[in-house]
Amino acid sequence: MRTISKIVAVLCCSLLALVCGGITSEAQQKDVKAAAAIPAGLALKVAPASSRAAALLEPLAADWTNFPTQRVALNRTPRLYDTEAPSDPEIPFVDVRLARAEGKLLVNMTWHDPTRDAAEIAKLPAAPTEGRAHKELTEATDRFFDSAAVMFPAHPPENGQWPSLQMGDPGNPVSIYFWSAARGAARMEAEGRGTTRRTGETFPAQAVYREQAWHITLELQDVPAGFPLAFAVWNGSQQDRDGRKYFTTWLKLE
Amino acid sequence: MSLHQYAMVMDLNKCLGCQTCTIACKKLWTDRDGTQHMYWNNVETRPGMGYPRQWDQIGGGWKDGHLQPSRQPALDDYGAPWEFDYEQRLFEGKGKPVMASPDPVSGPNWDEDVGALNGDDNFYFYLPRICNHCTNPACLAACPRQAIYKRNEDGIVVLDQERCEGYRYCIAACPYKKIYFNEITGKSEKCIFCYPRLEKGEVNACAAQCPGRLRFVGLLDDPGSAVHKLVHVYKVALPLFPEKGTGPNVFYVPPFNPPKRTNYGKSILEDPRLPLDYLIYLFGAEVKDIIVRLEAELTRAQNGGSSELLQLLIGRDAETRYQIKPQLVQIQARIG
Repeated sequence: MRTISKIVAVLCCSLLALVCGGITSEAQQKDVKAAAAIPAGLALKVAPASSRAAALLEPLAADWTNFPTQRVALNRTPRLYDTEAPSDPEIPFVDVRLARAEGKLLVNMTWHDPTRDAAEIAKLPAAPTEGRAHKELTEATDRFFDSAAVMFPAHPPENGQWPSLQMGDPGNPVSIYFWSAARGAARMEAEGRGTTRRTGETFPAQAVYREQAWHITLELQDVPAGFPLAFAVWNGSQQDRDGRKYFTTWLKLE
Repeated sequence: MSLHQYAMVMDLNKCLGCQTCTIACKKLWTDRDGTQHMYWNNVETRPGMGYPRQWDQIGGGWKDGHLQPSRQPALDDYGAPWEFDYEQRLFEGKGKPVMASPDPVSGPNWDEDVGALNGDDNFYFYLPRICNHCTNPACLAACPRQAIYKRNEDGIVVLDQERCEGYRYCIAACPYKKIYFNEITGKSEKCIFCYPRLEKGEVNACAAQCPGRLRFVGLLDDPGSAVHKLVHVYKVALPLFPEKGTGPNVFYVPPFNPPKRTNYGKSILEDPRLPLDYLIYLFGAEVKDIIVRLEAELTRAQNGGSSELLQLLIGRDAETRYQIKPQLVQIQARIG
């Protein structure tokens, strides 16, 4: 039964993505003045920067005002598990600005989130625990952290075959740049739901929380024009983790 | 179903509440970064809050084939750790008694020996708990990453630290709350039934260190094992909260001794020291039959007769209590 409910949820999720992807609701339309919503499957503008990549890494750098803000609708994953508490959509969209500089793709994301779910978690010490008097302490067992990610196909799509939005497919993997408000940046790979694997690689990322919104910049390996990408946002206070999140459909770089 | 199933039986009539098992486990497995609140083995006073607090009342497990909702216990439910200010008091001339800091507000077995009243009489007993290494583990089913698996060779449920992403669905799903979150590693952890010891022919650390000799360990499917005899032959051991549907492989001989001090000449069920309702709450209705059976064995022995069951429960030596079969498990795993 659980498998069936999962399949149903996955189908609903895919349908929802097709129907709602990239299209903001009526209520959201009122907020959309400065930025135009990106219809599903359409292109995101990306412009070359005159600034250095390092200067654009600061999410609130004045240089970012030179790039158009593109508002992308976020969809809420439907209930995936029998045990999952219902969770209303709270984050309707993410504002994205994209720049190319020094062979890098800089992704600037801003989204409204009244609850800042972040922490500085002690790093696991390299020294073995044996004989070490001080041990790092778990400070909480029931908190989840705000996070965001950008997902690309791991390989240039052939014959228009983009990987599944749900973390790719077997044989058609995705590359995920994941940022967490507690654990920083990590690159992951996946070939389908539940297969996410940490590569051990990190990448430059900076984040600022100001006026009830997250502003982050991720510095990623550049990809060619027409390349697909998708965004995701997790809200810690809604116990988001795993597929319990906000997501966009596949978009593509102009 | 696994090829074999290691199981443990704990005779609650013999538990001293000394926590030696807890410390044996803690020193061996959870004296690491991020594990301060974890007691893979804990001993709690019953009736009581339990560890983590109210674990028996916050859901999880199975009902009609569906996982049941629950919640993540908070750190205070496990008990936040504290330190003692020896430096200030002993070496800095403060001249006050050594104090705990921060002020302790909760902890494992926080309500030690409080128990409850049965009429005018106080009663309590100790309940040692480890992961139940269930036949139908809710934690395993709840993990979307297949990070939890049940070893085919011996039925031990383990959590792959490489696959775990710390989602904690397993913690909510486990009706016994025997999976713990390590925030430093960002992963969940659990009792591993000391499988590295079993593979060397050594019994679990909690059992090996138990001064009360209350633990029995072996393969449930080994007719020569004490656990098989206690569970399937003598039928005097029951799992905790069987209605949770996970099929625990840790079993308990229910507490029925000593008798109430006023009940001379009466049967235990006529004038029980422990209210039967509470034992039924923990172990199900079958507990009543077991108490009757155990009392009959006790009466026979007290009248000069012999009782193989009581001799087994006394468990004088390790050979009686433990039947660890690493060769059998490993060979059958290879050919299985």
